[in-house]
Amino acid sequence: MKTLASGDGDRFLIEAAQHDRFHFAELYEQNFDRVYAFIDRRVSTREEAEDLTGEVFHRALASIANFRWQGMPFIAWLYGIAMNVLSAHWQKFGKHPAQLAEDWDQGGSDEIELRAILAELVESLSPDQRTVIVRRFIEERSIREIAQELSRSEGAIKQLQLRALENLRVKLGRTV
Amino acid sequence: MNQRADAESLDRQLESVMAGVNVKSSSEWNELMAIAANVRKLPDPNFRRRLWGELLDDCGIHEPSHPQFEQVTSATAFASMLPTLIGDQSAVFPPDHRSFLVSFVSHTALIVLIASGIWAGGGKDVLKKAVEISQLTYLPTGDGGGGSGEHNPIPATKGTAPKMTEHQLVPPLIVVRKPDPVLPVQARVVGPPDLKLPQSNQIGDLISSNVSIPSNGSGDGGGAGNGSDTGLGTGPGMGYGPGSDRGFGGGPFRPGAGVTAPRAIYEPEPEYSEEARKIKQQGMVVLSVVVDQQGRPRNIHIARSLGLGLDEKAIEAVKKWKFTPGTKDGIPVAVQVNVEVSFRLY
Repeated sequence: MKTLASGDGDRFLIEAAQHDRFHFAELYEQNFDRVYAFIDRRVSTREEAEDLTGEVFHRALASIANFRWQGMPFIAWLYGIAMNVLSAHWQKFGKHPAQLAEDWDQGGSDEIELRAILAELVESLSPDQRTVIVRRFIEERSIREIAQELSRSEGAIKQLQLRALENLRVKLGRTV
Repeated sequence: MNQRADAESLDRQLESVMAGVNVKSSSEWNELMAIAANVRKLPDPNFRRRLWGELLDDCGIHEPSHPQFEQVTSATAFASMLPTLIGDQSAVFPPDHRSFLVSFVSHTALIVLIASGIWAGGGKDVLKKAVEISQLTYLPTGDGGGGSGEHNPIPATKGTAPKMTEHQLVPPLIVVRKPDPVLPVQARVVGPPDLKLPQSNQIGDLISSNVSIPSNGSGDGGGAGNGSDTGLGTGPGMGYGPGSDRGFGGGPFRPGAGVTAPRAIYEPEPEYSEEARKIKQQGMVVLSVVVDQQGRPRNIHIARSLGLGLDEKAIEAVKKWKFTPGTKDGIPVAVQVNVEVSFRLY
């Protein structure tokens, strides 16, 4: 699994983004799932996770010009911003920001990596299987709704669901 | 158990996952249930796209949105879309079907032209490529150069280089210490003899600011200029110019000083290699390119590799690019740039 120890390859991408902020796309794509997972583990609703993730990337883009390369991977910088964003958010609800660090020590990084890998594997599914997985588990649609959208029978959708999950299990076994 | 029954059985258990209820599933579904539970925590792809759109707005780049068009099939809807053609409208003037025909033909032709342009561009996998200037290089006709001097604090006198020769007998000197040699030999700089350089009566460095005081310059080596070895100019070597070795040309030029960057004006996009597509390899290839005075890419080298055939695809594409050449003091010159080619799969 990737850890915070790696990431030297980020340097060039950061310099490119500092030169032209459009190049932030690559950094965004590489780190989006991890930042989302980092935040989602610490909030209770998808809406909160989306709002705060959005804030992290807006702040990161706004201050990318000030980023100074010190050998740490870019994601570490993003986690720093995320912690500030979460701290401010938690203070509204009377939680103590110190819990963030404790959570990280308790294996939070492994779960974030797992989710990032899983997100990539979902992307690698066939279009039909990916659609079923996204609709069913992320958008929380019913089998009937998905069947109607794809003009397939409910039985066919359930079989696609089964094959997609089995594919993810196999790929996950190879990756982790 | 057949697959249909398996699918039904799994789905019944997944219903509990969707309801957020912890149930004890049969061991055969344990892993799949766990995966499903984790997938539920993944970000919504729509959110991912939406957020990127917002970030582009932050950059001042407005990406066109992708509105959902409703399918219009009924005659009523059609009439409401094209009231002038159908005649079911409240227009002041009666419908003229010829106007529609002219409009239809001209718009179709326009769409075909635009579509053919997009098709000719190819490479739909490529999100963006850009020319980034990292180092400007002054390369009028080659990559050689040279220079020398005699530790004189006064820069070498302004002038032109002597002719080129393959074998230098006498280095170019502005201040000649022994004006009457027994065997007079013309001073030369080393380079292709057929390379014609501007000539004048005054040997010297063309870009020097010293136009009046005779000086061999601050370098060392026995020639003239600020460099070393027996050439002329600011570089190390036996040639002429700010470069090194022999010939005429320059090494790295300092940014600014009237040098402008080349600008890409025709940028056919690279294709994805099959092997990279298979494993969904994405990233950026950086190529070092010299854009010559005619705006053609030359001396293409890989500065940052992605592998899996993407480097070759990037080179293949950039070879076809056309540039407006960079200029120095308004005159087109060869300029070295870094070209970044991003490969991204949608």
